[in-house]
Amino acid sequence: MQDVFIGFTSITWQMVVMWAIGGLLIWLAIKKEYEPMLLLPIGFGAILVNLPLSVVWEHEGVPGFLKILYDGGIVNELFPILIFIGIGAMIDFGPLFKNPTMIFFGAAAQLGIFVTMIIATAVGFDLKTAASIGIIGAADGPTAIYVASKFAKNYLGPISVAAYSYMSLVPLIQPPVIRALTTKEERKIHMTYRESNTPKWLKILFPIIVTMTSGIVAPISVPLVGSLMFGNLIRECGVLDRLSKTAQNELTYLVTLLLGITIGGSMKAEQFLNYQTLLILAMGLVAFVFDTVGGVLLAKLINLFLPKDKKINPMIGACGISAFPMSARVVQKMAQEEERGNIILMQAISANVSGQLGSIIVGGLILAFVPLLCP
Amino acid sequence: MDSLIETLRNSSATSQAVAVSVGCLVGVFATLGFFWLIIWGAGKIEKKNKAAGKGD
Repeated sequence: MQDVFIGFTSITWQMVVMWAIGGLLIWLAIKKEYEPMLLLPIGFGAILVNLPLSVVWEHEGVPGFLKILYDGGIVNELFPILIFIGIGAMIDFGPLFKNPTMIFFGAAAQLGIFVTMIIATAVGFDLKTAASIGIIGAADGPTAIYVASKFAKNYLGPISVAAYSYMSLVPLIQPPVIRALTTKEERKIHMTYRESNTPKWLKILFPIIVTMTSGIVAPISVPLVGSLMFGNLIRECGVLDRLSKTAQNELTYLVTLLLGITIGGSMKAEQFLNYQTLLILAMGLVAFVFDTVGGVLLAKLINLFLPKDKKINPMIGACGISAFPMSARVVQKMAQEEERGNIILMQAISANVSGQLGSIIVGGLILAFVPLLCP
Repeated sequence: MDSLIETLRNSSATSQAVAVSVGCLVGVFATLGFFWLIIWGAGKIEKKNKAAGKGD
């Protein structure tokens, strides 16, 4: 008789808390439209895995469908890699080719990764876990998942939730930080935009050169960079339109669906409900704040050496994060609020595209450097 | 280089994180700097081609 009611008798308060967290993620996805493609499946996966007996994960020694997906898509990093192909097919490096100097903001706006990694070690995390927490600052979900699945599988749930949640909160996080670091006059700076055609051969060669460079500088980054650039090559070659569209749509949507619910499935109460999860969520916010700081400060530094009529609007620096095109839109909106008719969108987009490149390169470098010091 | 890595292996996690951060920052600026050079060079070549009437 006891077996009949096992579903009721095995409910714990931790399960109830996780149902609430899952419900909250679903609410944020539907009501606030915060990264719904990821947060809704994550939320539902979190509820599924925290139901009595956790049959979707493992029951009586038999793996459930979420465990099978986890082993087949996360443990071997297949899902993030497939998503990178789709993202690569979506990225248009054209704006960057027209404003190549913006590329450096894609490096500076990764500052949050490093500040957060250092803070994480200071509060007691080991280097590998700290690097996985820091990479939340890449503002790039798949990179965060890829690094965390290599270095800190136990924290994959909170790291993914933090990465995607803060990405969707960029419109709330960046403006106050930008305002705190810039004057009204700086935010009113106009930038001229020169329209120019990008040669097709550059669009085709660029993904190949990026892949080869990354492969030589940090060979371990090749799956990460190579899959992104493979997607981009499909897009730019001009003869694989159907494959490009499939990568951008069907492939990305399908893998995102499986990735989300699988990450949710990794959020078991005993692993998620602890002090470290709260720390990770807090440090994710720190990462995004310092990303913005890094980009804006580099723009201000460059401005010290530029003539008055060539100065950069320092808000552009904040777009060096990977959250595309949200960050560029936020900065353009701020520029419009400061002065009607101030259009800096194209430069902001250029910096934003650089952020996509910068985040993946930092991800690769972290994968290369951390095992050297922490085998 | 090996001795530096060995020293860092025996140091605190925070020192290791600082070292990784410095390495990554230098690495990302250098790599993106290299890409900038390629894009800049491509722009120059394209200008020359256009001036010579070749175009894309």
